Order: sequence, then structure tokens, then C-alpha cells
Amino acid sequence: MAAAGPSVFLLMVNGQVESAQFPEYDDLYCKYCFVYGQDWAPTALPLASVSRADGGAGAEEGPRTVTRTEERRQHGDKARPWGWRQALAFPGLEEGISQITSKSQDVRRALVWNFPIDVTFKSTNPYGWPQIVLSVYGPDVFGNDVVRGYGAVHVPFSPGRHKRTVPMFVPESTSKLQKFTSWFMGRRPEYTDPKVVAQGEGREVTRVRSQGFVTLLFNVVTKDMRKLGYDTGPPDTQGASGPSPQQGLPP
Amino acid sequence: MNPKEEKVKIITEEFIENDKDAGVGRQKKTPKVARQKRKKRLPTTGPEEMVPENLHFNQQGPVPEDSDTRPLSMTSRRGPRSLPPIPSASRTGFAEFSMRERMREKLQAARSKAESTLLQEIPTPRPRRLQSPSEKEMETEFGTEADEEVQRTQKEDDSQSYSRVKFCDSVRKIKPKPVVPPGFPSAEEAYNFFTFNFDPEPEESEEKPKAKNRDGMNQEEEEGEEEEPPVQEHKMDEEELLSAKDDEDFLLGLDHAAEDFVVVRPADYESVHVRLQMEKELLFVPSRLTVPTYKKLPENVQPRFLEDEGLYAGARPEVPRACQNIMENRLLTQEPGRKWFGDDGKILALPNPTKGFPSRPPVLTREQDIKAELETLYKKAVKYVHRSQHMIGSGDPSGNFQLDIDISGLIFTHHPCFSREHVLAAKLAQLYDQYLARHQRNKAKFLTDKLQALRNAVQTELNPAKPHKSLDTTQKAINEYKSEIRQTRKLRDAEQEKDRTLLKTIIKVWKEMKSLREFQRFTNTPLKLVLRKEKVDQKTDEEAYEAEIQAEISELLEELMEEYERKMEGYRASYQQWKAWKKAQRAKKKKKKQAVEEHPDEEMEEPYPGEEPVKPVPPEPTDRALVEQQVRERAAWSRRRPGEPTLVPELSLAGSVTPNEQCPRAEVLRREDVKRRSIYLKVIFNDKEVSRTDSRPLGADFRVHFGQIFNLQIFNWPESLTLQVYETIGHSGTTLLAEVFLPIPETTIVTGRAPIEEVEFSSNQHVTLDHEGVGSGVPFSFEADGSNQLILMTSGKVSNGVAWAIGENGIPLIPPLSQQNIGFRSALKRADAISSIGTSGLTDLKKLAKWAAESKLDPNDPNNAPLMQLISVATSGESYVPDFFRLEQLQQEFNFVSDEELNRSKRFRLLCLRSQEVPEFRNYKQIPAYDREIMEKVFQDYEKRLRDRNVIETKDHIDTHRAIVAKYLQQVRESVINRFLIAKHHFLLSDLIVEEEVPNISILGLSLFKLAEQKRPLRPRRKGRKKVTAQNLSDGDIKVLVNIIRAYDIPVRKPTASKFQQPSRSSRTFSEKRAASPTTHSPTHSTDYPLGQVLVRPFVEVSFQRTICHTTTAEGPNPSWNEELELPFRAPNGDYSTTSLQSVRDDVFINIFDEVLNDVLEDDRERGRGIHTHIERHWLGSVKIPFSTIYFQAKIDGTFKIDIPPVLLGYSKERNLIIERSFDSVRSLSEGSYITLFITIEPQLVPGESVREKFDSQEDEKLLQATAKFQTECALKFPHRQCLTTVTDISGKTVFVTRYLKPLNPPRELLDACPNSPQAMEELLDYFLFKQELVARYVSLIPFLPDTVSFAGICDMWSTSDQFLDLLAGDEEEHAVLLCNYFLSLGKKAWLMMGSAIPEGPTAYVLTREQSHYLIWNPCTGHFYGQFDTFCPLKSVGCLIGPDNIWFNIQRYDSPLRINFDVTKPKLWKSFFSRSLPYPGLSSVQPEELIYQRTDKAAAAELQDRIEKILKEKIMDWRPRHLTRWNRYCTSALRHFLPVLERNQGEDIEDDHRAELLKQLGDYRFSGFPLHMPYSELKPLIEAVYSTGVHNIDVPNVEFALAVYIHPYPKNVLSVWIYVASLIRNR
Repeated sequence: MAAAGPSVFLLMVNGQVESAQFPEYDDLYCKYCFVYGQDWAPTALPLASVSRADGGAGAEEGPRTVTRTEERRQHGDKARPWGWRQALAFPGLEEGISQITSKSQDVRRALVWNFPIDVTFKSTNPYGWPQIVLSVYGPDVFGNDVVRGYGAVHVPFSPGRHKRTVPMFVPESTSKLQKFTSWFMGRRPEYTDPKVVAQGEGREVTRVRSQGFVTLLFNVVTKDMRKLGYDTGPPDTQGASGPSPQQGLPP
Repeated sequence: MNPKEEKVKIITEEFIENDKDAGVGRQKKTPKVARQKRKKRLPTTGPEEMVPENLHFNQQGPVPEDSDTRPLSMTSRRGPRSLPPIPSASRTGFAEFSMRERMREKLQAARSKAESTLLQEIPTPRPRRLQSPSEKEMETEFGTEADEEVQRTQKEDDSQSYSRVKFCDSVRKIKPKPVVPPGFPSAEEAYNFFTFNFDPEPEESEEKPKAKNRDGMNQEEEEGEEEEPPVQEHKMDEEELLSAKDDEDFLLGLDHAAEDFVVVRPADYESVHVRLQMEKELLFVPSRLTVPTYKKLPENVQPRFLEDEGLYAGARPEVPRACQNIMENRLLTQEPGRKWFGDDGKILALPNPTKGFPSRPPVLTREQDIKAELETLYKKAVKYVHRSQHMIGSGDPSGNFQLDIDISGLIFTHHPCFSREHVLAAKLAQLYDQYLARHQRNKAKFLTDKLQALRNAVQTELNPAKPHKSLDTTQKAINEYKSEIRQTRKLRDAEQEKDRTLLKTIIKVWKEMKSLREFQRFTNTPLKLVLRKEKVDQKTDEEAYEAEIQAEISELLEELMEEYERKMEGYRASYQQWKAWKKAQRAKKKKKKQAVEEHPDEEMEEPYPGEEPVKPVPPEPTDRALVEQQVRERAAWSRRRPGEPTLVPELSLAGSVTPNEQCPRAEVLRREDVKRRSIYLKVIFNDKEVSRTDSRPLGADFRVHFGQIFNLQIFNWPESLTLQVYETIGHSGTTLLAEVFLPIPETTIVTGRAPIEEVEFSSNQHVTLDHEGVGSGVPFSFEADGSNQLILMTSGKVSNGVAWAIGENGIPLIPPLSQQNIGFRSALKRADAISSIGTSGLTDLKKLAKWAAESKLDPNDPNNAPLMQLISVATSGESYVPDFFRLEQLQQEFNFVSDEELNRSKRFRLLCLRSQEVPEFRNYKQIPAYDREIMEKVFQDYEKRLRDRNVIETKDHIDTHRAIVAKYLQQVRESVINRFLIAKHHFLLSDLIVEEEVPNISILGLSLFKLAEQKRPLRPRRKGRKKVTAQNLSDGDIKVLVNIIRAYDIPVRKPTASKFQQPSRSSRTFSEKRAASPTTHSPTHSTDYPLGQVLVRPFVEVSFQRTICHTTTAEGPNPSWNEELELPFRAPNGDYSTTSLQSVRDDVFINIFDEVLNDVLEDDRERGRGIHTHIERHWLGSVKIPFSTIYFQAKIDGTFKIDIPPVLLGYSKERNLIIERSFDSVRSLSEGSYITLFITIEPQLVPGESVREKFDSQEDEKLLQATAKFQTECALKFPHRQCLTTVTDISGKTVFVTRYLKPLNPPRELLDACPNSPQAMEELLDYFLFKQELVARYVSLIPFLPDTVSFAGICDMWSTSDQFLDLLAGDEEEHAVLLCNYFLSLGKKAWLMMGSAIPEGPTAYVLTREQSHYLIWNPCTGHFYGQFDTFCPLKSVGCLIGPDNIWFNIQRYDSPLRINFDVTKPKLWKSFFSRSLPYPGLSSVQPEELIYQRTDKAAAAELQDRIEKILKEKIMDWRPRHLTRWNRYCTSALRHFLPVLERNQGEDIEDDHRAELLKQLGDYRFSGFPLHMPYSELKPLIEAVYSTGVHNIDVPNVEFALAVYIHPYPKNVLSVWIYVASLIRNR
């Protein structure tokens, strides 16, 4: 039972690609994927391994905790989040491609996808914090599928509900002629890999044009981050009672 | 008792109770009290009071409860009872927010509650008046506490309303439930009302106003818990009129049972008088009169005004006088203490917080003309170019700054055109100026006064009238005074003397001038000196003079007396001394005399040892007369004589200048010259001319008046400000006379305040003039004889004023001082704070602090804040000046741990190494969160590598040379990889963005054509497979698919019995019958062999990464299997990244075996009854394909030559038997066995893209451009043909490819070794060919190592031939280059041929030209093919490279079979160097010649033994379950045989060998073969042996033989022969 604390922390992200504002385009769909550092791994942990990650004590108490949680839920006790079990029961999705959505008929002209995001990461190091990379596609005048926007945003790192509006952009053609032919042929310039937009390297050679916005909703749950010495909570509530520094630094 | 009175009483009682006791019983009590009260009230209740009852009808339930639980503070918050309660400010907002939801909740709650209360209350009527005793008790306390009274009255209201509510509540309850009073909704109805849309019913017409009423009420319900009662009352007032009538109707319609509860009474009324009276009692109205100050201050304290004392006091917020008074009065009454009042008797207040300007932009009103608001103002663009240079992030207001330079004029104090008179005049003017200045200061007078004062002081001190002072101090003071008097007197004397001298000089100069004027008989200057005599009173003057002299004399005397005393003192002392000495002397003499008498010999000591002290002369006493005489003399010299009038010189310009015509010619010339001259000034700002004055003529008085003001708009603090004085003479050029450096004004000097200053200048110009002008810098004289010469330089004064301009709003336009401090170190350091308070020039902070302390700055004034801070820093010594210099001064701030700690922590170290992309850690995933989880061994490899970098490890490599080479290769590889890692981070647009190219016409046409294309073509085209990126793969996902289709010309078993099958080539015959031949027992054996019997039963076994698959057995020498074999692929370490896959060095071995069935039936008797055979397999040959080739080619499809060992015992080529050598020589070259294969990887992997080879080069830029052009041209025509012009050399530089080709000598021994046999000479052609073969064989013996493997697939690097030979490893192009160079040196026409071959893909071959045909050489195998050989592995030709040119294949076909190799035809070959671009004669990168070291034979022999030993061990390892016996005899025989093989290169010895073996191993069944390989490492050898499967024989009595032979070639090229055999003893 004298086992040390956890060696990884978990980051559970669920939420959705809610909607988009693309004033000029219609019938769009979007793809998303995650870009994360080397210390990160998407995970769909079985319950046992999580309890192990939970620490020595958790391993034994695992099943009992569950029943208690169930009871509490029945009694309407909302004190303990039970999202972990849910996250562990279903494997996360690292990438997805949404349905095609059309503009709403009201004045907002919003493109609503409500496309779920649900992924859990484990990591030992916040470096390379996951970013979600979005790319939006839609038909052009001739019916070719062309890219309508790329965008990326970091997954929020404080637990809770977050809404993010991501500006989207597309690479520009290198010349006017290229622009015309690409428009004509339906082969707009695209990134070789959408993940390019999540990094800075090599971007200096590109030119882009802004396109619209995508609104994302994240529900972020973290686990063991504070035990590992990373305090990401809002400053007013958690700052004072931070973890003991000995965990984060070598003794 | 009046009912009203009683009611009031009851209510008060109730509330007292509530106040006092917030206990448990209260909840029950209140309703009861209410009910009881209701009983009394009802009869008198007027219509007014009925309204609220209505209002509350819908909320029967909650309201009573509310009244109970309501906190007291809520009620007390309300205003006086007589006023209608004010709705709270939050009401509307609150009501709007979620009104509907709350309403619904409320209604539901109300409904349920109403029902439940009805159920409860109806059956159990409560006893009334239950708590009357306690009420009585309370009554006694009534009115005792004044404090509570207010509250109580307030509560009265509440309780009234509540009780009313309760009343109607119960009214309703008492009524039978179904009977709903008309116009009154039941709870259900109410609910429906709010939830449904009603259609108005006719009978409910009267309900409408009520509905409205209720609507309003419902709004109030929102805040029912807090604010309900007041609001309802309020409402009531508003709606009274509306609903009063209805209510009355309702009441009348009530059930009669309720009537006895109703009390009707008139409205409450209090007369105004009474009310005022009451209010007066309750309320306190502070007076508006001004409070006298004494009330506000403690007694006997005068108000103190800080501002008057000079302290800073902020502006107070503006409050109307009346309000202030009210407040003061209130405070004084309410809190008698004076803590609210400051020292000045005012209420304490913070400074005014209001801003002076509105922060909200003015709202555009409709009335205003919008156009006017939106009108565009044009502002000229402002340039801010320079600002960023010197400004570092200061938040100073930007803008232009302005420096005003006022140049008023210029005066020459000397000019070349000065006449002599001018010179004197200038001198005179100067002296006069001096005089004026002195006169103004009048120092002599000051000193005189001081002297007088001092004397007085001494007098008073000496005055005995003040005896109380101690004598000591007095004496001391007097002494001090006296010494000061002496000093002052001396100073005064000097001053007076100077004054007098000056005056004398002025007079002298004036006299000279006068004489000069007389002499020259004209005047040039209007100067005129008047000496004004001021009469003085002779008597007083004399008296004063005398008194002065007397005083001086007495002082002097005193002084001298003192001196005398002192001297006397000294004299006396020395006299005493002298006397004593004298005495002693005398005594001595006496003694001596005695002594002489006694001891005459002591006479010697007699002469005086020292100098005899001179007898001191007493000082002379002072002679008063002498002193007096001295004083008088001095006074006469330096002072005005008494009675002499004071002379006051006055210089005026009143004199007249002689007109020109009266002047002599020289003077006229001078004057004309002066007139021709004009002067202007240039204003130079920061060494740039910014403006210049007008050119003004030089006046006759040598003054120039400009009177110009220049406004300099500047951005920065000025560096320098200079005026340049230019003189123009006539129309000739201008000369720079002098430069005047103006001081940059202080920040306090602004326009209007600037004094006009005169700045002197002088020039070192030398001018000699031919007229009266004295010139400049040349000697001249006033005397006629030219003596007493004088040299004057041009000089003058510029009067100017420099000041900072003031902006429109009065702010000086001064650049921020930060600029000045940062940008210009040379400028005086000024602190912002100092100048801001108007003091400048203080640089010493200590002094500043002192000054601040002395001047009593107000530390509270915000204006002084920076100064105070500065001072505090200075005085506390906190200003810390580092004594070191740091380049990145912020780096320290960002280091979150120290470097040592960073190194100590394993985790940090790991992170660092990973970020540096150190190969071991480049792909390290999930670095643990804690140090303790990191294994120490993680670093071990890395540290070992670091350590071993220079240590050559010989363990892994058997011979030292190769160990060195491997190390070298490793280092080259590392450096290359590092370079590529850097290159990898440079991106091009094409790396990031996929963009279609602009289509040209043909593509457009094609695409148009495509539109017309059928959607479902009849002949579908194959689509490429989907490629898989390698990263998300794991073990088992990748498979290597090998399709074995067919083989040709498999060797067949040789029937030994038949004589006629002997090959014709063989000259030998077998004498013995081979009884024990292995084929004899074969079931397929037949003597009538040609008759279609099975000659061989081959099958194919594919082994890859130790996985083995094999096909079924086919029959015959040309079998067809058509089978697909699937082999799993495992990447090293499970790393499926591209780089990892590229460096896989495994080979796919495709081995062809012959399946032989051996009858092992021991007993012939059983032959009829059973078959007992043993399957043996005999290795026939193999094809080896590296995995990297498959990986890069994605698929390999073609026919390959099977590598068949030179000696295959018991087998022979069928063709040899059937077809005699009837082919021409070319055809026969291709003899061998072939197999058709198709190999691919499933799923298809994306091969790593090659890195852009864009490196620096030492080639000529023109050449590089030409190569680029050539390549694009070629690629345009034939995009798939390889065109090579530049390659990367081993140091990463781009090199033109022809530089690699140059004749190089092959090893001498090789050529010597070739037999110069006479029969060879007969056929010269064959001889050459033989030589070539030898050379090719040598080249092929150098191990093959693809660049992709050695450099992790990064690029193709070409090493030169000597490097290649040193490295002993290289891929096709290195082999090809070396071979081509050898051929060239042999005098052949040879080219490097770039093309694609099977299985290598893009590769390099060598083409040579024989007499009539071309030969294609595979440099890696040493084989050569004729141009028309169908089995030639080279499938296409891209370009040919010669030593001096490149030819690109522009023929229609690229197959070597179909093309013409004649490069001279420009239609077929496009040459790089042509007439337009001639060959520039490029020097070769190859060495002059290759030097070959002899290989150490002994080392080779040793290596040979070691290899043999290792291989034997390996074979034993591979047979773990069987005993492995070695047949030594056979081994030695084989070992003996191998050199022969090497010598003959494995040809034509088979039969000899066989015979010999048979002779030696008569009774063994023998199966084996020699393997031949170039030596690189041990591992390939082992793999090769393993792949033959010799060890797989598990016949019990099998024996093995293994022999290794290494033939050393020069330069450590080793040819390895391994003979493996298995023997089975025949019984």
C-alpha cells in the first residue's frame, strides 16, 4: 500500500464540434484529429489499469468504489464525478469525420454539426499538450469537394466546460493563374497534412486566407495532474492549496 | 374600546412577541392571531382594506409562511410607515428574469398548498385566543424601549397586510369548496389562467380588469419572499380604483356565514399636525447651517491647513455647500467624536476621483447632422521613422518636438578687415565691457564692507561688557576673526588694484586710439570714451582714508607683534639652549684642562665634535613707522588718493566716422572691401544642415544683425547643435569662418524664457589684405617702425537663444529624457525627476538628497514622487550596479533550475536529449514523470557511444581494417544525419501545401478528353494500391508477398551412367563407374534420360527473417509453380517509422532446391511390400533480394538470374547437353538459370521521401544553372527516365557527376596475375575481355551496402573511388564508377549508364564498347551482358555519363535492346555539353592514381580459420537436437579444393572436382556446394549458409564438412569461399 503516486495523468476530453460560421459556403462537413507530443498517448484504459494508475489503494477498492458511486448517483449525490467510468467504458476517438450540414434557415445561418468529440489521453508530461485540428470541407461550384478551412486549438487544460471559437483559414494559391486554375479544376491548394496547422514549423512559406469560424465545446476532466504537480485549475480556488512541490521535482 | 385601538394594540403585541422571541411557537401563533384579529376587524373593514385581500387570493399558502419566516432585518430596511414603500431597484430585473418559470412553480405550489391547508384546517378548527396571557405580559413592556418603536411601527404594516391575507384565505376556506365566488378563480382556474390561453367567456367580462390586476400581482410574486408586502400595498394604491368596485361586489356576494367576521370601519387618519409631531419625535433632520469650525475641532485647537504649510493636499471632490453642512451636522450629532474631521476642520475626504473628461464618447443625437460627425478629416501622414531607433518602449507621448533657435546677430571682435583703429576700438570695447562687469559686481566694495563688519565683530568681542562668555571661546573667535580679516584685506587690496589697473588700461587704450586717429587723420569708429569725474567730499574721504590706514596699521602692528612674540619665544628657547651648551662647554674645557694635565694623550678628543651653536640673535621689535610707511605706499598704489575724484569711464558711440571721400585710398579700399562682404549662418543639427540664415552684409561696425528664429521639428534628443559662420566676399566663393557650438538647452528653458547668450567663436584663418585692413593671423604693428608686433585671429560672438518650444496646450515640446539617457551617453545625465521640478544640473544623487532634505520637498505631492523614489534609492544605496556584463541578461530569469540540477535530474536530461534529437532518444515516447521511474540503463547506450567514439571496437569485426572502416562509416553517417536533420527543418511551399500545377495545353486537352471518356471502360486500368503510412502499424501487419511463377534452366541431375551425356567441353572421361552416386537410388532415375523423365524436382523456399516458406514441388528443369508465399515482416524493435524501415538490412533469400527421394529401405526383401524413402533436398541456387529494395520499389517483378554455385555436384545444365555451343558468343554469355518472381509488400508502405538535395556547391554557378535547366528539359520530355547531372559527395557538397569519371589504375597484381599465356595472345579480344572480367570481379568483391541503409535512407551519396576502396562498402554507383574508371584505364570506351534494373530499381551500370557491340556490366555482380541479351537485368536506360559529357536518352524506347548506343547522334542522345556550352574542362574529384596495399596474407588466413570455426559452431547451434559430426577428411579435401575454385573463378572445374572427390570419399553419399561471397561481415556469411539449409538434414549418420577459404585481393578486398557439404556414408 506504500506505493507511490500515479505515474501518468489523464486528460479526458469530450464535447462537440458544435457549429460553424462560414458566411459564403454551405453543405460543409468537418474532420478533426488530434496532434500531441511524444509523451502523450490516446488511451482507452480498461478499468483495472486505471485503478492501478489510481495508486495502490485504488486497486483493491476499485469495485467497491464503483458500487458506492452507483448508490450515490441514485441518491442524487453529485459530489463525485462519475465521468471516469464512462470514459473508460468507451474507447476514445482520436479522429472523426462529421456529417454534411446545411445552413440553418434563420438569420444566424449557422452550420450545426454537433459532432461529438470523445477522447482520453494519458501523459507524463504536459509538453505537447493535445491540440485538436479541424479541417472543413465542402463542395464548390462544380461540386468538387474542396477544403474550406483549417484550424487548430489546444485542448483547454483546466477542467470544466470550455467553449472555443476557432478561426479557420485556407492556404492561398501562389499566383493568380494558379488561383484560377485551381478554382476551375476544383483542386484548391491544401496542406499536405492538416496537422501542419498545429505547428509553427514551416508555416513561414505559406500564405493563408481566413474563412470562418468553428465553435467547439469541450468538457475537460483531468486526473492526477495535481498529484504530479501540475496545477491547471482556476487560480482563485486551487492556487492556495497547491500540491507539495516534492512530487514535481526531484528530491 | 375603540376597535381600531384594539387592533393596533394586538398587532403591536404580536410584533413584540416576534421581536423578542423568534422561537418555535411563532409559526403557529401568527395565523391564529391573525384569525382572531380578523374576527374583530371584519365588521369595520372598509373597501380600502378589502383590496389587498383580493390581491392575495392566489397565494394563500406561501404568504402566511413568508410573514413568519421573514427576517427582521428585511422589515427594518423599509422606510417610515406613512410613506408608500418604494419598490426595490432590483425588482424589474428580477421579475424579468425567468419570470414564467417561477410563476409556474409558484402556481403549482400554491395549488397543492391550498388544497392541503384546506384539508387540514377545515376539520380541525383551532381554539382561539390561546396565547392571550403571554400577550398581556408583553403589553407591560410596551413602549419601554424607544429604539424598537420605529421598527414596530413599520411592522405594523406587514402584519396588517398579512392578517388580511389570512383573512381572505380563511374566508375562502370556510366557503364550500365547489362554490367559487363569481369573478374569483379557484386555484385550478388560476393555474389554468396562467398556463392556457383563454377564450374570453361572456360572464367573465368583469374579470378582465382583475386579470390585469392579477398580472401585476404576479409580477410581484417573484419577490414574494422578500418584498411582497410592501409591493402589494403599493400596488393596492395604484389599482384601487380599478378593483374597488369588484371587490365590493364580491364581498357583498360572500357567504353570510362570513359576515360576523367582517368589521367595517372608517379609514385611518392622522392629522398632519399629529403626524408632523410624530415625525419630529422620530426623525432627526440635520440643519443646513454651516457648522462653526470650533465644533469640529478639539478644544483649543486652531484649524491647520496643510496646503498653507506647503504640504500637498489633493483637490477635494466638489460637494454642494448645503450637503456638506448637513453631513457635518449629522456627524456631529450622531457621533460626538471628531474622528470624521481632519485637522483643517473639514470632513476627511480622498482626492477627487472624478475624471476631468467624459470617458464615454458623446452620443450621436438624431437632431445633429450626421454628416458633420462623419466628416473625414484629412491629416497629413506623420513619419515616425526615427523614433524606434533610440526609444526603447518608453510610453512617452509621441509626437514632434520643437527646438527654437533664435539667432539675433553676430559681432566680430576681430576681422581681417579691421583697421588698426578697429583693433583698438575692439580692445577698448572689450576693456570697457570688463570694466562694466567689474563695476556691476563691485567686489572691492563688498570686500571692504566685509572687512568693516569683521572689525566691528572683533571690537564687540573684545568689549568687556559681555563678561559671561568664557575667555577661551572669545579668544578663539577673535583669533578666527583676525585671520579672516587678514585674508579679506588681502583680497580687497588685490581687487582694488585690479580695478585701478583696468581703469588705467582703458585710459591708455583710449589715448592710443586718439593718437591713432590723429595720426591717420580719419576716424573709422564712432567710439568715444568720456571720463566722468565724480567729486568726493575731501574731508570725509580723507578721514575715511586715514582711518582705514590707521586700522590697517594697527592690525599689521598687532600682527607683527604677535610675530615678534613668537620669534622672541623661539629666541629665548634657543638662547637657553645655547647657554646650556656654553656652560657645558665650559665645564668640558675645564675638565679637559684637568684631563690634559692628567692624561695628555686625551688631547685628541678635544676638537668640537659638532657645530658650535651660533648665539641666537634676538628679533628686532617692529618699527611702527616702517609699517606705516609700507601701508601708505601700498594704499597709494592701489587706492584712490583721498580727495581725488572718482573716474567713471563712459564709452559711447557718439563719435562721427570720417566719410569715405576724406579718407586715404587704402582706407577707402578697406571700406569697400568690408561692404562686399556678407555673412550668413548655417544651423547644423546632428551634423546635418537644417537651415541657414539670410545672407546679410557686414556692417562697417562689423556687426551683422539676423534676428531670425528657426523652429526645428525634431524627434529625438539632439546630439549636437552647431552654427557655422560663412562669409561671402563679393561673388566669389564662400568661406567657412568658424563653427559655433551651441549648448543644448536645459529642459526648463522654453521659448520666452530663454536668455540671449553670446557665444564666442574664433577662426584660424590667415588673411592678408592689401589695404588698411590688418588681416587675420598675420602680424601687424601700431608703431611706425613695425616693432611691437601683434597677431590677431578672426573672432567674434554670436548672440543667440536656444529654447524648447511650447505646444498649444502649454506643454513644452521636449523629447523624453529617456531617449537622452539611453541613446546618448555623452549627453549630461539627467534624471527626469530632477528636471521636472525645475532643478537641473544636479548629478550627484547624494547632493540631490541633501538638497531635497534642505528644500523641504513635500513627499506627498505626486509631482515629487519620482524624485522621492530616486532619492530613496540613492540614499538607501539600493541602486545596484552590476560589475559584470551579460549578453543575454534575461536568460537567468528564464532558467527555472540551474544547469547542474538540470543535468542531475534524469528526467530533464532525457527531455533535453530528446529535444536535441539525439538518435537514441529521438523517438522516445512517454518520458516518465518521475526520476525514479527512469532506468539508468536508458543512458547506457548513449554514454557508451559517446565514450566509444574514438575507441575502435574490434570485437564485432573480425579483421581490424573493417573495424576501422565501420567506425569511420559510423562517423560519416552521424555527421551526414546531423546535417540532414537540420535540412529537414527547412521547408518549401511544396512540403506544406499540395497545389496543382498550372496545366499546360496537353494536360488540359487530356483532361478534356477525359470528360468524354467512358465512365466504365471496357478495359479497366489497374489502380494503385492504397499506401499506408508506416507509423500506425504493428508486428504482423506487414507481410512480404512472394509470387514464385516459374524458373528456367534449372540444373538437372546428371545421370552418371550414360556416357553420351558427357559434356563436350570436358576433356576428361570417367573411368570409374559411380556406383554410389546419389542419383542412383532416386526413383526418378532412369537410364533413358532424354525420354521425358523427370530430371529434377525443384521447389522454391523463401526465407526471410528466419521465417521459411516453400512451394510445392514441380518437375523438370523449367518448372512452373505460380504460387504465392506470404512472409510476415517484423521491423527492428517494433519501430515502424520510415527511418527505421529504411535501415532494415534483412534479405529475402529465394532458394531453389531439388527434392530427392532416397530409398532408405534397408532390406531389399521388403521392397515389394512397402516404400520407405527419405526425402532429401539439394540446394541448387538462390536469389537474394534485399528488403530495402522491395521497400523502395514497392514491387519487384521480373526474371532473375539464379545464383548457382560454380560447382553443383551431380547436376548439370540441361542446355549444355541439348544445345551445343552453336550460339554466338553474346548469347552464350547469358547462360544460367532464371526464375520469375513477383515480390511486394502488403500493405504497401510509403517509402521515405528522399531529402531534397539542395546543398552548397563549389561548382560554377553557371554550370549549376545549366544542370538545372538540362534536368528540367529532360524531365519535361521523359519524366520517368533518370537524368543525373549533379550528385552529392561524401561531405555533402554538390558535385558535377562527370568529375567522378577518370581513368584509374586497377591493382597491378590483378593484371599481373592474368596469364600472359601464349594461347591467350592469339585472341586479343578475348584477352581484353578476360582482363575486364578480372577487373569486374574485383569490383564486385567489394561489399555492397546501399546508401539508404548506411545513411538511413536520406540520400544518395557518391564517394570517390579511393574513398570507396577505403570504406570497402558502397552501392551501385560506387561500384559502377570504379569499374568504369578501371575500364577507362584499360583503354576501353566506357560509360556510366544510369537506368533502372531488376531488382535494384534505379541503378548504375557500366557500358563498354567492344569492336562490334556493346557490353553491359553489372558492377555489383561482375557479370556482363550483351546488348541484346534478353535476360539482362537492366531494363531501361536514362542517360550515359562519360568523363567529359552527359548524354540523355531521347530515343523513343529506353530498353537497352531497342536503343542505339551511338552517342554521337544528337537526335538520339541529348548531350549536356554542346557547342553552345562547351566542356569547360572540369577537374576530377578522383585521386591521381589509386594506391593498393597488399593485403596481409597471414591476417586473411587467421580470419579464414576464425570464420570456419564460427560457422561450424553455428551449424551445431542450428541442429540442437542432433549430433553434428564433422568429417575432417572431407573438410581437408574441400579446403584443398577451394583455392582452385578461386583461381578458376568457379568455372570449368566441376568434373575434375567431382572426380577428385569421388576418389577421396568413395563410400560417402555427398551433397554440397561451394558458396562464394565478398567479405564484409560475418553475419551475411552465416545467413547464406543458413539459407542453403544444409544443416537441415536429419539423417542419423550424417556427417558434415565445412571449409572456408579466403583469397585476399589488394586493398583488403577479400573473396570468401565456403564449402558446405553433408556426407552420408553408404553401407
